[in-house]
Amino acid sequence: MNNGIVVVVAASGVLYGTPLLFAALGELLAERSGVLNLGVEGMMLVGAVMGFWAVQRVHGDSAIVLTAAIFVAALAGAAMALIHAFLVVTLRANQIVSGLALTIFAGAVGLSSYLGNDLNLADKPAKHAFDQISPFGLQKLPVVGPILFGQPLLVYISWVCVILIALYLSRTRPGLNVRAVGESPAAADAMGINVARYRYAHTIVGGAFAGVGGACFSLMITPQWVDGLTQGAGWIAIALVIFAFWRPELCLVGAYFFGAFSALPFTLQARGVTVAPELFQALPYVATVVVLVIVSMGWTKRGLGAPAALGTPYVREEL
Amino acid sequence: MTIRIERRLEQPHWLAVAVPSASIVLALLLTGAVLLVTGHDPVHAYHRLFDAAFVGKDALTQTLVSATPLAFTGLAAAAAFRMQLFNIGAEGQLYFGAIFAAATALYLHSWPSALLIAAMVVAGAVGGAAWAAIPGVLRAFCRTNEIITSLMLNYVAALILNYLIFDSLSYWRDTSTPEAKVFPQGKMLPGGANWPSWGIVHSGPGLVIPLGFGVAVLVAVGLWALYSRTRFGFEVQVLGDSPRAARYAGIRTRRKILAVMCLSGAIAGIGGASQDGDFRHLLDPRGLQQAGYGYAGIVVAALGRYNPFAVVLISVLLGGLQNAGYALQGADFPSGLVGVMEGLILFSALGCELLRRYRVRVVRRTGHEPTVPATEPTS
Amino acid sequence: MPEHASTPPAVRLRGITKRFPGVVANDGVDFEAAAGEVHALLGENGAGKTTLSNVMTGLYRPDGGSIELYGRPVEFRSPRDALDAGVSMVHQHFRLVGAFTVAENVVLGDHRGEARTFRLRPRRIERRVAELGEQYGLAVNPRAKIWQLSLGEQQRVEILKALYRESRVLILDEPTAVLTPQEAETLFVTLRSMADDGRTIVFISHKLNEVKAVAERVTVLRGGRSVATAPTTDATPQSLAELMVGRELAAIRPERVEVPVEDETLLEVEDLWADGDRGETALRGVSLRIRAGEILAVAGVAGNGQRELAETITGLRPATRGLISVRGKRLRGGDPRRAIRAGIAHVPEDRLGTGVAPSLDVASNAALKSYRGQGPFLRRRLIRRRADELIRTFDVRGATHATPARQLSGGNLQKVVLGREFSAKPTVLVAASPTRGLDVAAMASVHGYLREAAAEGMAILLISEDLDEILALAHRVVVLYEGELAGEVDPHGATVNEIGLLMAGGSRA
Repeated sequence: MNNGIVVVVAASGVLYGTPLLFAALGELLAERSGVLNLGVEGMMLVGAVMGFWAVQRVHGDSAIVLTAAIFVAALAGAAMALIHAFLVVTLRANQIVSGLALTIFAGAVGLSSYLGNDLNLADKPAKHAFDQISPFGLQKLPVVGPILFGQPLLVYISWVCVILIALYLSRTRPGLNVRAVGESPAAADAMGINVARYRYAHTIVGGAFAGVGGACFSLMITPQWVDGLTQGAGWIAIALVIFAFWRPELCLVGAYFFGAFSALPFTLQARGVTVAPELFQALPYVATVVVLVIVSMGWTKRGLGAPAALGTPYVREEL
Repeated sequence: MTIRIERRLEQPHWLAVAVPSASIVLALLLTGAVLLVTGHDPVHAYHRLFDAAFVGKDALTQTLVSATPLAFTGLAAAAAFRMQLFNIGAEGQLYFGAIFAAATALYLHSWPSALLIAAMVVAGAVGGAAWAAIPGVLRAFCRTNEIITSLMLNYVAALILNYLIFDSLSYWRDTSTPEAKVFPQGKMLPGGANWPSWGIVHSGPGLVIPLGFGVAVLVAVGLWALYSRTRFGFEVQVLGDSPRAARYAGIRTRRKILAVMCLSGAIAGIGGASQDGDFRHLLDPRGLQQAGYGYAGIVVAALGRYNPFAVVLISVLLGGLQNAGYALQGADFPSGLVGVMEGLILFSALGCELLRRYRVRVVRRTGHEPTVPATEPTS
Repeated sequence: MPEHASTPPAVRLRGITKRFPGVVANDGVDFEAAAGEVHALLGENGAGKTTLSNVMTGLYRPDGGSIELYGRPVEFRSPRDALDAGVSMVHQHFRLVGAFTVAENVVLGDHRGEARTFRLRPRRIERRVAELGEQYGLAVNPRAKIWQLSLGEQQRVEILKALYRESRVLILDEPTAVLTPQEAETLFVTLRSMADDGRTIVFISHKLNEVKAVAERVTVLRGGRSVATAPTTDATPQSLAELMVGRELAAIRPERVEVPVEDETLLEVEDLWADGDRGETALRGVSLRIRAGEILAVAGVAGNGQRELAETITGLRPATRGLISVRGKRLRGGDPRRAIRAGIAHVPEDRLGTGVAPSLDVASNAALKSYRGQGPFLRRRLIRRRADELIRTFDVRGATHATPARQLSGGNLQKVVLGREFSAKPTVLVAASPTRGLDVAAMASVHGYLREAAAEGMAILLISEDLDEILALAHRVVVLYEGELAGEVDPHGATVNEIGLLMAGGSRA
């Protein structure tokens, strides 16, 4: 039973969905403040390579090294996001072009590749990696066990992040403020909220999350460094935020859904069932388009949709 | 003392040249800094880049090979972005153009070459336009944001491409040899579908211009003429500048949006046809996806500020950069430099753009001068 | 009641000057209001009231002048400073987040003392909101989402925001624009009780009867300057109307020239109803008829449905009920192209935002409606020539056909728009505030063109706030008040004051 196809697919879904979840949570924070950051793929790649570098170079106990590596990855992603934030918030540049520029700058033929090859990180396995942990031996539970409790630490950390972000947005004052900034920067400004500061902060933190998401690949899933190892996960994360109606808890569901659908065809193949993987892989993207149409046609309840001011720079009239 | 950022009322002409030049210089300096910090010699690196891009043997020819798809996707992006329609889907539209063109070439294999090539161009345009029509319709009639929809469809297009060659026995797939069954690849297109090229300079570095590049130049001219000389272009200009004024003038906004999206997709689709006919001679999913022409095209368009001729010019420059990047890949040349440079050029251009639209002024606040209080007038 | 004269006023503005590119919105304005007072700020649109209030609330930084609160000079670098100093404002366009609840909006951005909690305590906030609502007659459900509320209820939320933050100075910008008469009465009661608690209320309005009803003193602004301050008990509607509208204009009053009117009805509007941008009913059963060669003027202060009337007739806005016919043929609403084809020309109120494409050159803008019908290609030389002709005929200064439209001064831009609309030889011309912002000479030429157009048989709908202009040009004058036609006035005998009264919602003598 524990090796049944549903279990295997679900377990893979959780594993592969985790980088998506981190990146999506980060992008969700940025978008809630009104900043669209299309550079997620680039930020993840930079996080992946820098996290890997930390693991290879820092000496010490495994737990310490991995912790340091996660911080390094987060920092790297945040640094990339800072560029985007500066361009779109202070210089009021076009958010789409800036995000794409970030992807090209930091992406698979850019900075991440530059750093990875310059630092000789390829072709070597990670010295430390996030392995499966089985808290309290719960892994032995039927069905639920391997899916939920046989996962590496980062998976559980991602759950904590979902809860924290959900609470932040719905129950705290700064969370209320950032939602206001994303919905109506004019109202927020009139109420004394510093729009620019909030946008900077959330974009940068978003980048940190993306960096951690990237590190999931190089320190958990693969765990090795290759050029472009995220293979488009950053773009999926952007779609995921929309698919989840900009809600953290739905990001979790969606991430595992997307993760499962990308793992499913290969699992089937291993069982001798040949089915074109592309059909499943396309589903998340199509689903996102459908969700977007539903939202823009106004068929959802109000309040379930994009932050109203997403993508537009805010300029107080006089400035 | 405060720093005020004010909108410029007028834009002096010298800015139009000064700003892009300044951003390129800035980008070169920043890249140089990155190189220095990581222990490379910037001057040496730049020298080798320039050489591999424009000077060395066959450099120009290879540069044009890289430039041709960039020109198409750049023109596609420019066509749409000019009207504030952010079509990010040139990547997928190019794939569909390649699919339709390859199918046409395979099906009409007995046609004379010239006709066959023309048919490929048309098929490519149709394929790209059809794929672009999806986000176009959604935007025009459902007001759905075209950025995300066109982006998502890029992925769907890539998956379709993969399916056709790797996971099905489709019309496009080569099933002739035993190896082909194990290592899937596309069917070779008939000889008549090889797009010609013209050698212009035969000595020294040499210069061979592929037909695709010529077509791209023609498309640039056509796009320029369309946008600056026709009714359609006039309406696009007005709509891009002020949707309210466009409505006021009686312009049919929704039809325009759909038309421009399809036009943009068609141009990208021809780029796909060019990939089949000029360079690859079969439907090549892996190669097309790795190249990322669609996204690079947006960079080209942004740098060229959506002017068709500038876009072609910049596609050559960026093509040179990309070409040099491939040619120089190896232990002693930092890989990923191309992306870093492209990114920095674009960042600089975006940053300097601010100077075009706004002016930075330092204002000294006037003091709190006591004024004579107004007398109370009788009512 | 106003406090004893020796205590400093709650708010004192001295010499406030605020400039924007091309216009001086406030020119050395002095203003003061006392604690416990309801002080009205009266003026026409464009007189500078909103700018002044934005300065008071930290949204704008003045180019000159000073602000004192309770005798202490203050400097507001942002809205946050003003809010912290106890100054709140209820804007014309509410600054509310539609997707949030009432309670969330009230507490947004609050960072004072006890409220400095990181965690939101929704129930505590809701209780406080309910308390305040009861105390001041501003009942509203704290859990409701803003988009579910009527405009009147949304306004209550705005006031609750100020009460929650314990603001001592509250500025309201045209608050009754979105209220029914009954809601307005309730509002006045609320404001009075807030003032009795020692707060200072600044009430911005252009409606004379309200000013008398709620305020103790009134300051009149005109052309960016303050022209008078007086107790409302002393002022009469006539005196206030004169101050608002300005006596100088009377000196250069345009000459009235009679133009004969033909019999044929060119434009007929029957029982027209339309909604405004916020979903409120903006037009209520308006009916009118304009004959060939006739100029029908619609008087009224902006915000009473004039914009919606112009937009509905010209197809920019769909009508919810009613008919529009040109030369007897019914016109399908909501389609600008059909309206243009039916021969309706439109000089819009918002020149730069709607009437032109700002970045395009004069030639393109001159051809904005006439580029059609010449085949797929633009006849650029023809367009340029026509633009040159237009520039010459209509005396457009400071521009060639290549100048981008946004660089033109307001007056010259208007000439381009007028010239373009006239050149199309329309059947009906809808002109909304056509001489706003023009100098006397330009005004005179525009009046000349309008008369000429009427003489050529055009039917003209003139929507204007300039009463002298209306009296000089119009064959008939109707007044629009709160979406309805409040009355018709014969321009031959009428005075400015009579129309002004109707415009302000007063009744005829």
